[in-house]
Amino acid sequence: MTVDIPDGDQEAMRFEILGSVLKDGAAARLGRLTLPGRRPIDTPNFVGVTSRGVLPHLTPDNVSKHLQVSSAYMALEDFIEKPQQYSKRVPPIFSTPTTTKQGTPLHSFTAMPPSVTTILSARRLPAVPPPNGNTNDSISVFTSTGFQVLPTKEYLSAVQTLKPDIAIPPADLTHGPVAPNSKRALRMAERTDEWVVEWFSSLSRSSSSPQSTFAPVLPISHSIQWEYLARLAEDYLPSSQLHGLAFYDADVLPDIAAHTPSLVQLPLLSLLASQIQSQTQTPHHILRQISLGIDLFAIPFVNAASDAGLALTFRFPPPPHTTTTNGPLLPLATDLSLPESNNTTSLAPLAEDCTCYTCTSHHRAYVHHLLSAREMLGWTLLQVHNHAVMAAFFAGVRAALAEVEGGNDKFEVLRKEFALAYEPDFPEGMAQRPRARGYQYKSAGGGEGKRNKPAWGKLGGAGVDVDGNGEAGISRGGAEETTGGMANGEGAYARDLEGRGFAQVQN
Amino acid sequence: MWAARRMASTISASSPALTFELVARCSTTRARASVLTLPHGPVPLPIFMPVATQASLKGLTPEQLEGTGCRLCLNNTYHLGLKPGQEVLDAVGGAHKLQGWKHNILTDSGGFQMVSLLKLANITEQGVRFLSPHDGTPMLLTPEHSISLQNSIGSDIIMQLDDVLVTTSPDKARMREAMERSVRWLDRCIAAHKHPDRQNLFCIIQGGLDLDMRRECCREMLARDTPGIAIGGLSGGEAKDDFCKVVAACTELLPDLKPRYVMGIGYPEDLVVSVALGADMFDCVWPTRTARFGNAITKHGVLNMKRELYAADFGPIEDGCGCPCCRPAEEEGAMGITRAFVHHNAAKETVAAHLLTLHNVWYQLSLMRQAREAIIADRFPDFVREFFRNLYPERSSYPAWAVTALKGVGIDLLET
Repeated sequence: MTVDIPDGDQEAMRFEILGSVLKDGAAARLGRLTLPGRRPIDTPNFVGVTSRGVLPHLTPDNVSKHLQVSSAYMALEDFIEKPQQYSKRVPPIFSTPTTTKQGTPLHSFTAMPPSVTTILSARRLPAVPPPNGNTNDSISVFTSTGFQVLPTKEYLSAVQTLKPDIAIPPADLTHGPVAPNSKRALRMAERTDEWVVEWFSSLSRSSSSPQSTFAPVLPISHSIQWEYLARLAEDYLPSSQLHGLAFYDADVLPDIAAHTPSLVQLPLLSLLASQIQSQTQTPHHILRQISLGIDLFAIPFVNAASDAGLALTFRFPPPPHTTTTNGPLLPLATDLSLPESNNTTSLAPLAEDCTCYTCTSHHRAYVHHLLSAREMLGWTLLQVHNHAVMAAFFAGVRAALAEVEGGNDKFEVLRKEFALAYEPDFPEGMAQRPRARGYQYKSAGGGEGKRNKPAWGKLGGAGVDVDGNGEAGISRGGAEETTGGMANGEGAYARDLEGRGFAQVQN
Repeated sequence: MWAARRMASTISASSPALTFELVARCSTTRARASVLTLPHGPVPLPIFMPVATQASLKGLTPEQLEGTGCRLCLNNTYHLGLKPGQEVLDAVGGAHKLQGWKHNILTDSGGFQMVSLLKLANITEQGVRFLSPHDGTPMLLTPEHSISLQNSIGSDIIMQLDDVLVTTSPDKARMREAMERSVRWLDRCIAAHKHPDRQNLFCIIQGGLDLDMRRECCREMLARDTPGIAIGGLSGGEAKDDFCKVVAACTELLPDLKPRYVMGIGYPEDLVVSVALGADMFDCVWPTRTARFGNAITKHGVLNMKRELYAADFGPIEDGCGCPCCRPAEEEGAMGITRAFVHHNAAKETVAAHLLTLHNVWYQLSLMRQAREAIIADRFPDFVREFFRNLYPERSSYPAWAVTALKGVGIDLLET
């Protein structure tokens, strides 16, 4: 059950399936993915989702010290913007020098710790749907300076320059909230097929390209993309050019296992095709996909939860007493911005028994304070905790899968218990978010409304920022501005002042 | 109460919650190197104190801040009084526990924010009256409130509430009133202070730019024998010449064996000149604020990382800097951050702000460390000359105020 690519090459990716519920077909499985120079990844596991090359709010030193993240998803569209005044410039990332510690330009540019495996795709996760769609030889990407056409050939050459550990070839995706009609779906399959053929033929002509290719599986039915998938199995698997699959819809997996079982021996990565999917994804979905056989998950909800002031609280297996009693369902996360459950003064960790930096060095009261004061550290501490919860969750999943040998399907039993113990969805998260920037969060359908209160308003009107204390000039002596992040926030309230040491004048 | 004793090479003095040990003195200027031992450990002086306004240093974890060598940082009483509020501070057990900071904290009195943030503050003998920024309700901050809050915060150094007036105010009578009121308020603060055994109350010398008034204030304040002394009301837009004169006039009168804190000072050249004039402690939000605007402080000046110039610059933020961002990636604990990476994320991801904050705090602390080493080795004048040589390519562009101020303490910057 080992796929060595290619045989005997020291510089190759290795994927071993260590145990599986079924010998063949789609089923939950335990594995280990080893890439040269990186920390081996025990699967099932998760992939950290970066924005502009960083795990949001986490400096590289915090990533090395406090995060058990073994891989990072990066998007080329985050690095190739064309500022208006410098529209002719070559994106700086392509000229990044490498060092002995940082052997690839992508690692070197982003200062990503060397133990972390990088996965490069063209689009962010979740991707903003482009208004113009793709053409026969290019895809539409969304950079910080706007939509841009990225020829598939340029993407390939970018991959060859940047040398990510794992690259995902371009896929013809709509990224929209609705599924494409059958005509569009057919064209998606044809174009992706052509692009993947082009990808592999160019790669085979180039001299050295140590990175691994995870071919995209489209979010359309198997019957429409079977020719493409058959080609992957017949042409590129035997030639050892294909190293894994990247699913934009994991539900295609059972059909692939039935028709082209050889493909399922590869490491399988789950991505999300649309913003709606990423907003509704929960650990329940992840567990279901694990039972289908997915090995790696890029999970945008971790970053989103931190931005929303949510501390993830679920674990796998669920706490034992919860499934036997008919009590209320456990929440998947707690909203630390709310004053409830003594968040304001509690010295307890964010989640019971959590061993992350945030939970061992800090407490709920501090994170609550930071969120309410909109201090950036709040999001940093939540990111550390939320990534630790994901790491522990997947460790729990792997431990359950390791017990399969006895014949009984421990993982499936615990998965059902998890479904009974926890609420189906995340709480919404009432905290003020970090300042959202247009290139990250583009309205998908319109009418979403604003998350945060306006920072500036008419004098005397609602939402006026009253303690924006003059950023420039002579305001050097006092305090740092009180508003969160790089944006401004709400002001001080009289009712806050009262009884907190500031007396109200008795008239 | 002040027990001074002479030892072989150092002299020291202590009060219930503080020990001040004078380690070395510059043989040319008034610069001093000392060790200030506070309830949460020793602090080498001179020192720059970064400002963690709301119990957080702008995105850095307390662990990262500790890693820069910082052993004393600021919190702002006004902000902590609003959020999380006194009740929470009491319930949690103070600001150290709230923010997980094992080292020392200094808090201001909250009076400065009343004046700087709330334009409608009105100062009476009772305290600072101001209209709530939210709904215009009249509020009042008295010396007793301020001390009570600072007692709840539990900071190692607490500041008296003072009557702050812009130094450039032409109203002499009002300036005198403010100075005299600050002295009266110090008495009320001392009376209200519940924990003199574990929190050090510093007085604040006022008196605007009038040197005689400053001297008079010094004498009054010194008579109250606080464990440390601050020079306040500066950095409000006065000319740098005037600023230096005030600092020099005060340090001349201050006793050797007490720490001297010049409030609100933070540009590197201000720090170096103030150290030469005999000051020990400084705080300012500028290094951390400017970091969030994409600016890196270096020995050759401030660089704005958002400029296109740095888009493909793969060197460190500052060559030879020892901070975790700038050291080469090969070194243990180093990140190998390039200017190009900071440029890429400046104003786009909070991480760029965190990295520059880390670098800038390191720069300021390291500048003061170097000054201290130079004082101990008695080569401080050379250090000052080198500092200005690095900062200004041409001697002719040296700021006149710095040349004058340094000449007053025996350093001739223009000497060849």
